[in-house]
Amino acid sequence: MKYKEIKEGLASKKFSSQEICETFLKRIRDVEPKISAFIHHNEEKILQNAKDSDKRRSGGKELSPLDGIPIGIKDNICILGERTTAGSKILENFVSPYNATVIDKLNNHGFVLFPGLNMDEFAMGSSTENSAYQTTKNPFDTSRIPGGSSGGSAAAVAASMLPISLGSDTGGSIRQPAALCGIYGLKPTYGRVSRYGLIAYASSLDQIGPFSNDSEGIEDILKVISGSDLHDATSSKEPTPNFSEKLDLKGLKIGVMEVGSEWSEAIQKKYKQMIEYLESKGAITTKLDFSLNEYSIPVYYIIATAECSSNLSRFDGIRYGYRNEDGKKLEDLYLDSRSKGFGKEVKRRILLGTFSLSSGYYDAYYGQAQKARALIRKGYDLFFDKVDLILQPTSPTTAFKIGEKTKDPIQMYKADILTTSVNLAGVPALSIPAGLDEEGLPIGMQITAKHFQEGKILSLAKIFESIPEFSIPLPREIK
Amino acid sequence: MDSKKLQEIAFLARLRFAGKELDELTDDLNKIMSYVDKVKELDTRSITEEDLYPHLQENAIRKDEIGTSLGRDELSKISPKFENGYIVVPRVIET
Repeated sequence: MKYKEIKEGLASKKFSSQEICETFLKRIRDVEPKISAFIHHNEEKILQNAKDSDKRRSGGKELSPLDGIPIGIKDNICILGERTTAGSKILENFVSPYNATVIDKLNNHGFVLFPGLNMDEFAMGSSTENSAYQTTKNPFDTSRIPGGSSGGSAAAVAASMLPISLGSDTGGSIRQPAALCGIYGLKPTYGRVSRYGLIAYASSLDQIGPFSNDSEGIEDILKVISGSDLHDATSSKEPTPNFSEKLDLKGLKIGVMEVGSEWSEAIQKKYKQMIEYLESKGAITTKLDFSLNEYSIPVYYIIATAECSSNLSRFDGIRYGYRNEDGKKLEDLYLDSRSKGFGKEVKRRILLGTFSLSSGYYDAYYGQAQKARALIRKGYDLFFDKVDLILQPTSPTTAFKIGEKTKDPIQMYKADILTTSVNLAGVPALSIPAGLDEEGLPIGMQITAKHFQEGKILSLAKIFESIPEFSIPLPREIK
Repeated sequence: MDSKKLQEIAFLARLRFAGKELDELTDDLNKIMSYVDKVKELDTRSITEEDLYPHLQENAIRKDEIGTSLGRDELSKISPKFENGYIVVPRVIET
């Protein structure tokens, strides 16, 4: 069931929150053994919250028109009294003593939270294969990855275990899994949504955003979670608009890119089709020069790992999280807790970041990467002097096989070639479904706009949503 | 980067590695380093100091008011070792 139908069904009292949540819980019981989207999950608590919502609604005291809608939460967003693992063993038993700002906002609107969605450890990965707990499977083909790092959030929506969910995106971690799972996923403008209570990976790039099985879910959730926050000094004072703009394709200027030879054939074909469609409706397409894209992954890995090496220094085994007391000295406690608590990819990234920030290498790596980031951001400013929106594929390929890229970290990093520059520039981008390839795997396209113009992106997404050849039916049966 | 340099960096990050894990990691990191080395090719001379901090256009300052913070009860629930109102750590001064 689409998000929109759930929202309308609850409002018209066609069904109750308890009924709809029970339906989703049944679906979770049926397909979760094949998908592994949840690290943890508490049915009783969910049902209690749904019953509370129904009581509010039947008494005319609903907190908002969205009261009672179920939403999944990636396991790096802190919820008071819930386990929040960030996909890591170092936080296996961590129960959050506070709510992230986005959680407070969802609660204030009456949403029923489904916490515990699987992810790559500390959001470092593109497939969920770096989760310390499990690899989530792609609902379209369970021998394939769902994308990452928010793979649990994407797979849960694609497998119809939930209509909407929250994820986080540092280099593509919402958009890439949304594309690979055939749903919508938005990385808002940096600063649009408070990061307070999001377990930090790379603070200058991280952003919380929604997944949905339709565009209306993206729009509604964005409205709910946006806004400045005293707890996040980087959150923006930019007012939260309505996000639904009237958009006329006639005369709309759309930036496009040269078709990449490394993209799969089906993606090349679909991209050309979409451009032709836009042009046939009077949009003016302009080819933009994305030659800086080949630097975006190296720049991203230097900046993100530098920030993670600092952010993850808080996990020292002292105040919270896993502690190893095998050694006698305090030094051993740090070394053993961290070395045993973190997984391989996390340690790799901490080391890379520590190296690029270390004396003698700082200017050549971190300093140069910051300058390169500024070049990339200025590149986007120039793009948006010429065009209103940019259309690109979200990922160069459809979902790859489990295990296909785990041996070669660079091949895995390259899965984000089309998404990382967006984080470096801080602009918003949405991945939308664009149809299936010859193997029945989803293709996603990314729409990017200037800072704080998510409304324009959503308007174009709605135009494509109404065209059958660009839409993706979600699988009922999970094979 | 050789494994000795890697051990130095690892200690700065308070991580330790040995044996096969150390060799694999040295190998992986060298591959990653030669890939990210690409940033050195870019001509970034046009970038000024002000270009570097786009997210900090204005200060975010809040009123200096006392707010709520986590109490001992909450801390006791999340700390790996907590006794009599304190987080317990190993002996810091060595004898």
